[in-house]
Amino acid sequence: MKKILRFNLNGEEIEVEVEPHWTLLYLLREVLKLKGTKEGCGYGECGACTVVIDGKAVNSCLYPVMEVQGKKVITIEGISKPDGDLHPLQRAFIEEGAVQCGFCTPGMIMSAYALLEEKKDPDLEDIKEAIEGNLCRCTGYIKIIDAINVAKRRMG
Amino acid sequence: MNFNVVGQKIPKKDAPLKVTGQAIYIDDVELPGMLYGKILFSKYPHARILNIDTSKAEKLFGVKAVLTAKDFPPNFRIGFMKDNPPLKSGKVLSTRDEIAAVCAISPEIAEEAINLIEVEYEVLPGVFDPITAMREDSPILHEEIGSNVLKLPWKLTCGDVEKAKKESAYVVEDTFTTQWVTHCCMATSGCVAYFDVNNNLTMYSNTQIPSLAQNDFLEALQAFGLKNKRVRIIQVTIGGGFGSKLDTYPYEYIAILLALKTRRPVKIVFSRDEEFFATSPRQCTITKISQGCDKEGRLTFREVEMMLDNGAYTSWGATTPSVMMMPISSLYKVPNVKYTAKCVYTNNTYCQAMRGYGNPQATFAIESSLDHLAEESGIDPYDLRMINANEPGEITPQGFKVTTCGLKECIEEVAKRLNWKEKRGKGQGKRGVGMASLIHVGGGARVYKSDGCGTIIKMDDFGKVDVFTGASDIGQGADTVIAQIVAEEIGITVEDVNVIHNDTDVCPWDVGVHASRTTFVAGNSALYAARKMKAKLLEIISKVLEVPEDDIVIKNGVAYSKSNPEKSVPLARAIRRAHFTRGGCMLMAEHFYDPNNENLDKEFKGNLSAAYAYGTHGVEVEVDTETGKVKILKYVAAHDVGRAINPLLLEGQIYGGVLQGIGYALSERMIYEGGYLKNGNFLDYKILTVRDVVPVETVIVETDEKEGPFGAKGIGEPGLVPTAPAIANAIYDAIGVRIKDLPITPEKILRALKEKSSPK
Amino acid sequence: MKAFEYHIPKSLDEALTLFKSLKNPMYVAGGTDVIVNIKRKKISPENLISLRNIEPLKVIEKGDVLRIGSCVTHEDILRNREIERYYSALYDATSKIGSKQIRNVATIGGNICNAAPSADTACPLLVFDAIVRIYGESGERSVPLDDFFVGPGLVSKKENEIVTCFELPIFSPYTGSAYIKHSRREAMDLAMVGVATRLTFSVGKDLENLKIELRERDLGKLEEEISLHDLEIREVRIAMGVVAPRPKRAKEAEAYLTGKVLNRETIRRATEIAMDEAHPRDTIRGEAWYRKEMVRVLTRRAILLSVIRGIESQS
Repeated sequence: MKKILRFNLNGEEIEVEVEPHWTLLYLLREVLKLKGTKEGCGYGECGACTVVIDGKAVNSCLYPVMEVQGKKVITIEGISKPDGDLHPLQRAFIEEGAVQCGFCTPGMIMSAYALLEEKKDPDLEDIKEAIEGNLCRCTGYIKIIDAINVAKRRMG
Repeated sequence: MNFNVVGQKIPKKDAPLKVTGQAIYIDDVELPGMLYGKILFSKYPHARILNIDTSKAEKLFGVKAVLTAKDFPPNFRIGFMKDNPPLKSGKVLSTRDEIAAVCAISPEIAEEAINLIEVEYEVLPGVFDPITAMREDSPILHEEIGSNVLKLPWKLTCGDVEKAKKESAYVVEDTFTTQWVTHCCMATSGCVAYFDVNNNLTMYSNTQIPSLAQNDFLEALQAFGLKNKRVRIIQVTIGGGFGSKLDTYPYEYIAILLALKTRRPVKIVFSRDEEFFATSPRQCTITKISQGCDKEGRLTFREVEMMLDNGAYTSWGATTPSVMMMPISSLYKVPNVKYTAKCVYTNNTYCQAMRGYGNPQATFAIESSLDHLAEESGIDPYDLRMINANEPGEITPQGFKVTTCGLKECIEEVAKRLNWKEKRGKGQGKRGVGMASLIHVGGGARVYKSDGCGTIIKMDDFGKVDVFTGASDIGQGADTVIAQIVAEEIGITVEDVNVIHNDTDVCPWDVGVHASRTTFVAGNSALYAARKMKAKLLEIISKVLEVPEDDIVIKNGVAYSKSNPEKSVPLARAIRRAHFTRGGCMLMAEHFYDPNNENLDKEFKGNLSAAYAYGTHGVEVEVDTETGKVKILKYVAAHDVGRAINPLLLEGQIYGGVLQGIGYALSERMIYEGGYLKNGNFLDYKILTVRDVVPVETVIVETDEKEGPFGAKGIGEPGLVPTAPAIANAIYDAIGVRIKDLPITPEKILRALKEKSSPK
Repeated sequence: MKAFEYHIPKSLDEALTLFKSLKNPMYVAGGTDVIVNIKRKKISPENLISLRNIEPLKVIEKGDVLRIGSCVTHEDILRNREIERYYSALYDATSKIGSKQIRNVATIGGNICNAAPSADTACPLLVFDAIVRIYGESGERSVPLDDFFVGPGLVSKKENEIVTCFELPIFSPYTGSAYIKHSRREAMDLAMVGVATRLTFSVGKDLENLKIELRERDLGKLEEEISLHDLEIREVRIAMGVVAPRPKRAKEAEAYLTGKVLNRETIRRATEIAMDEAHPRDTIRGEAWYRKEMVRVLTRRAILLSVIRGIESQS
């Protein structure tokens, strides 16, 4: 039975009809047509589907859509400025060579986004903790860590 | 040499699309009226199909087509041995065999329909390893072939191995085994197929071989009775390749047939489960190797015998021996070489290309064995390598013409940075250092009759350039490197160059993204095309500035007279003058570059590549002797790349390759039991996370390869070729135990340590 | 995914009522096990009843006991200074569960009730003698955690009952604990073997100079230092994961070590007894002989780490 869901998506209050068994990932990609969040495995084991809910990074492929009620959701489409200016993380990922095939990138950036929103000066341990749930097969992670450090310095 | 743009750390051109979530991958593709396809895979690894009942599936609301083998032309087979029908009939030979397929208006209905298909099997006994499969009393998989041993000619003989063996001062013999590992591309496989009103096919695809795939699909269309049609391949943003998309798969032909039957676009995208069990992994190997040297440590011979589990059908895994010959014959100077490889059908999964294409497997054996030889002969492994290191100008026993070769520099750098002399043999039973080298093709590889790549380049009235290349970008940075080469040659900025690489309607022919050939071959193709364009530009500018052509220099899109710099004109204006007038001309150039390399002859000899890449990796490890866990303390990767066109992207290739290599060495393996994959998910298949990262020191050796664009050679694969033996050799130095079977797990180390301290 | 209805009760009684009235119901907290199991077709509930918005279940409070609500997320546990300092084994375990994304929604109640033999929070809670409080139609009841685990995926509670919280005693000074998770990779992994220990001890000799370097990596040296101070074990708990159908206490090893003075020999003996109490299987995730061996190795390391922490907690 369809239910009405009201929540804040990327800064905008929205209202949408959902089936209760949907995951947030399904709602974002298939219904709202926001394709930036990716499905890598569907079981919460790769992090490609990471979005930020009330400041916390979560795997949207396992997040029941009804739990989104009244919450604040941010996806990769929501972190650049309204005028199109990129978020420092996005800029740093580009400049530091942290993007190869790019499939893990939206999820990776959202995990880093949640980290930098919570901690202004995370150390290497904090960074690893924040992205240990985001698998990347191309980059070997080193340049991703560099990019997060560069973004952190620019935002600080 | 002073370059403007070559050698600069230029960010990847499509990165902005990727960081904003705007890049379109295969699962993001949505077309009007699109249907979703799903495949039913076999329940058993070896069985006769007695009956397939699709009636319930066909009746399900929303299902638009159901296919079984009878819908394909009889005898339609794919794969280079033509032994693989897209949908199976008669017998199934593995648990990844495709039995039926449906398409429906939603993925959920498609999945429900699959579950409604009823298949009656007669289970047959299966064989799950090549040795058993070769026995007289073992079941034959392909009954029409009559044998489980593939008729493949893998045999290389150089010199006289028997004689050399007798004359050697030291000889070692070992057997090494390597496991199945899989690509784990973060985006799963998939395609969208649709036909236009005239039955021309368009495929949205992840393929790494657009031109060859076009050919494969055209053959399919002909088999379906569609003659004289067009096939257009549009590559989406590819979420990882690593060789997994070097062959065409049954699911693609299934999507095509579903699209033909329904007259609607059909999308098939694998779930992660399917990606694990239904795509083709890296070829596993059993390798018996013997090497010898004289009293001075000069290698005398290398004899290698390999057995390959071919799986149920044949893909590129069966051709990895043709690449394994390369390190076997040409890694270090070894005058006498003998190599044979046998591929055997089993009821297991079948393998295809994966980064390195057999080289990692062979190098693991060669470089581990070399350290054994070092021990036997009393010569330090570093010295043994330096004594036998390849040098520029040599011709190897297989006929490779080595042009540039920075191997000695790589070995030296690694030894220096590891503090080899201080650390080797002094780890007190816990720490150790080890190294291993690599050779790989670096100037294309004439695997097919052509190793070519075409480029068309046009400049518009605004001084902006579009480069249409046959090459593909699979995340490695081809789009950016090609832009740099063109920008450097013409004298414009990288921003002003747009590289179009993903539409066969528009892009010229290329043999594919393999063999680390893109920078070299596609780069050269673009370079020569850019040179032709520059010649035309100089002609135009000469008239505009009224100076001779050799007096002109172009920088950042502006042309100057060298002798009189005040005489200048922006390119855009000069071109407009030439074009926007009566009798005007347009500015285009093209070049098809086919490197100066050779097909291997019937004896597998010849100069396969126009240049060869070399490198050495060194590792310092610490072994926890109570748990068997290995910690990598230091990793040095030295690579002879000719010239680093883009150090940022190059480092990215090395870091990525090294981490994949560490996974190959220590943690990754596909666990099959009785033909079933037991760990087909990210929890139980251990690719490495950020917490497993080790600091990697990269050393770039630039030997300036004359044949390469601005001196460059290939780097895509070398990053993971020597990783496993470097780690294995370091472990040996630490604890005196040699693990010859990948992956080197804590259990294997602990067991070996126990056996060493109390031998039975 | 097969369809289900999703309900969000605001109180325990509302949850119980929903469970009673709905067809094929199942409780869900963070969803990281339940949703995965539905996707893998292991279960197919028609009604999910979410416990994650019942406020009393999300509280950590310290009074005469430490009470951890069942719907406290792993992230919340990691942020709790009390737990980090005085219940270190639980902190160790929680920090290694899954990933940040999982820890942000997954709950300690879910981890325990899912009852995988590898459940990371199980062994720490066992060594803390945790009591499980359960709410049902006939009101509240409590069960020692050791009696709560029945088998793989099975706990001793009726389907409609709800675990409300875990109660952990406040321990005397010189109590230290540790949990070591042995896995193949450093993140996003299940334990191949897990060992938790808690020691409550007294210092017999030279208390003023009792200062043991946490950074000392040579375990032999640590054991030597420790034996100089006559540390007598008042209470010890050792729990092992993935060596039995359910997380298991090494009670014989505990009995041996109680009352003993800690030194190389007593530690060695205790780890050997613990190893004999472990009965792991061969699975694709690990071989039995190796898991047994690791019990011996990790118990020693966990005991030493527990001692160091017990000493540090008093400084």
